[in-house]
Amino acid sequence: MDFGLTDEQELLLSSLDELLERECPESYVADLDLHHQPPTSFRKAMHEAGFMSLGFPEEYGGMPTDAVTLVLLAERVCRQGLNNGFGLELLQAMDILEFGSTEQKDEILGLLSNGEVPFALGFTEPGAGSDNSAMATTAVHHDGMVTFKGTKTLITNALQSKYLLLMARNPEVEDKRHAISMYLVPMDAPGLTTNQLDKILWHISDSCEIFLDDVTLPESCLVGVKGNGFKQLMRNFEFERLVISATCLGLAQCAFDDAASYAAQRVQFGRPIGDFQLIQLKLTDMAIKLENIRNFVYRTAWLLDQDLPLRSQGALCKRYAAMAAFEVADEAMQIFGGVGVTVGTRVSRLWRDLRGHRFGGGTDEIMVHIAGRQIVKDHA
Amino acid sequence: MKIVVAYKWAPNPQDLEVRPDGTVDAGRAKPAVSEYDPVAFELARRLADATGGEVVGLTVGPAAIDTPLARKAALSRGLDRLVVVADDALVGADSTRLAVVLAAAVRGIGDVDVVLTGDSSIDVAEGQVPLTLAGHLGWLGLARVAAVEAADGGLVVERDLPAGVSVLHVAGPVVLAATADAVVPRVAGMKDILAAAKKPVEALALAALDVPAPGTALTTLATARPSQGERRRVVLEGPTAVADLVAALDLAGAR
Repeated sequence: MDFGLTDEQELLLSSLDELLERECPESYVADLDLHHQPPTSFRKAMHEAGFMSLGFPEEYGGMPTDAVTLVLLAERVCRQGLNNGFGLELLQAMDILEFGSTEQKDEILGLLSNGEVPFALGFTEPGAGSDNSAMATTAVHHDGMVTFKGTKTLITNALQSKYLLLMARNPEVEDKRHAISMYLVPMDAPGLTTNQLDKILWHISDSCEIFLDDVTLPESCLVGVKGNGFKQLMRNFEFERLVISATCLGLAQCAFDDAASYAAQRVQFGRPIGDFQLIQLKLTDMAIKLENIRNFVYRTAWLLDQDLPLRSQGALCKRYAAMAAFEVADEAMQIFGGVGVTVGTRVSRLWRDLRGHRFGGGTDEIMVHIAGRQIVKDHA
Repeated sequence: MKIVVAYKWAPNPQDLEVRPDGTVDAGRAKPAVSEYDPVAFELARRLADATGGEVVGLTVGPAAIDTPLARKAALSRGLDRLVVVADDALVGADSTRLAVVLAAAVRGIGDVDVVLTGDSSIDVAEGQVPLTLAGHLGWLGLARVAAVEAADGGLVVERDLPAGVSVLHVAGPVVLAATADAVVPRVAGMKDILAAAKKPVEALALAALDVPAPGTALTTLATARPSQGERRRVVLEGPTAVADLVAALDLAGAR
C-alpha cells in the first residue's frame, strides 16, 4: 500500500501552492465572504493555469486525471479557507459533456473558461429535496416547445449563473422514475424570476428561490434523453460526494492549523494554552479525525480510480467527512474562545461553511438512508 | 537564439524553520527550484518564443540535485531540455566554484547567446554567481535586469537600478541576472508536468568538463543573524506626527 505522492502529484500541488499564494490569499477570501462575492478572478487564474480542465476529456481540451489527484487538489484549495474552491465546476461540466448537445457543450465550456459559474442546479423544491419523487415543477412539451411551471428553492449560485440546469417532471408520465428530465434554461428567460435568500453561511455562493411562471423555450433546451433526467444527474453523485468530502477535509485542516497555531501563541496563566492538557486533548482528537477523513477520502478516490464498485462508500465517506470536519471546526472555535466568534476571524467562517456541508449535497441523514439500505442488502 | 537558464535546486522557503537563536534550519525543507529562479525561466521562455529560440536549463551541485522530481520540476517550467552537472565533489561548493562549473557547462552546451539567472539563490543569497559566471565566460554580465527582448540582432535590456531605469542594447553573448519581480512566472500545469518527463536531459560528468582545480579554500568561521536594531518605543501623535516621524527617521539615518 503506497501512501506516497507521485512526482507529478507533488509538482502539481507545488504549482497550486504558488497560484494560491498569488491569487487566493486569506485577505481575498475574507473580502469575498464579507461582500458575498464569488471567487471569479481565482477561478479564472485556475483556468488559465490549466487546473480547471483537469478531469475533462481530451477532446474538449481537458486532461483526464485520476480521482486521487483531483481530491488532493480540492483538499489543497479548501485548506486555503476557500469553500467549494475546486471540483464542483468539473461536476457541472461532466453533466453537460456527457449528455448535452454540441451547442450546450460549447456554451458551458466557454463560460467555465472565463472563470464563470455556468449553471446552478435546479433540483430542490419547497416540497421536494431528498425525496425527488415529490418534485412538482412541470415541463410540458408542445409544438417543438417546452413550458415550465413551478418553484425551486435553495438554489446555489443562481444569481452568478447564466443558466439553470433545471430538473422538471412530465405531468403525463406516472412512473416517477421516468418522468423527470433535465433542461438548460437561461436565467434571463421570460417568466423566470428569483428571490435571494439571506443565509448565515456559504457567503461566496448566493442561494435563491426560483419561480418559473410558464417559462417557454424551444425543446432544444433538453439535456440528454427525455425522462432520463434523474438517472443522468445520479451519474455524478458519487463523485460529488467525494469532492464535498475533500472540501470538508481541506476546510477542517485549515481550522485545525489555525487553532493549533493559536494554542501555541495564546498565553494564559503565564503559559501558552497549548501547554494545557485539555487543549492538547482537543488538538489530538481533531488530528485523529483529520487523519480518518483523509484516509476515507483518499481510499474512496482510489476505489473510483480502480473502477471498483463504490456501493455505499460515497455516502459513508460524505457522512463521516461532513460530520467529523464540522466537529474539528467546532473544537477549533472552542480553542479560540470569544475571539473565534468575532466577525473577520477565519475560524468563524470555516465553522459556518463546514456546517453547510452537513446538508449540502445530501444531508447526514440521507447518507444513512443510502448507505444503510445498501449495508442491509449486502448482508441479506 | 540559444538561451540557457542557470538555476539552483535549493530548499523550499515554505519549509524553513527559524530556530530560537534566529538562525534558519533548512534540514527538513523539501528542495525546489530556487525561489527567484522561475523569473529567469519565464523571461527565457518569452524571449525564445519571440525569437524561435531554444531554452536550455542548467544546474550544478551535489549528486542529490539530480532526481526525477528535480528534473521534472525544472522541465515543467518552460524548458526545452535540461543539462545537469551533479557530483558530490560539489558538496558545500562556494559561489565562485559553482560559477566556474556553470561556465564550463555553458561552454560544453556551445553556441549559447544568453544565460539568464535569478537575482540570487534563496538559501545562500549572495547574488555572486551570475557575474562571476560572466567573468569566467569572458562575457558581459548585467545584474538587476527587469526586462529583455530581442532587437536589431541583439538584445534590449532594461535594468532597474537605484538611480532609475536604464535601457541598453547588447550585441554579444551576455549573462543576465533578473530582478525578483521582473515578471510574474507562470505556474506549471498538469500538461507541462506530464510533458516534462518526455523532454531530453543530459547529465554532464564534472570530471569531463574543463574545470580548473579549486583555488583558495573558503572556511566559514561564524554566522550570526542580522542585527534587529533597537526598539525605540517612541509614539508620535498629534498633527505634527508625520513631520516628527520624518525627522526621527532622518536622525536615525533611516531615510
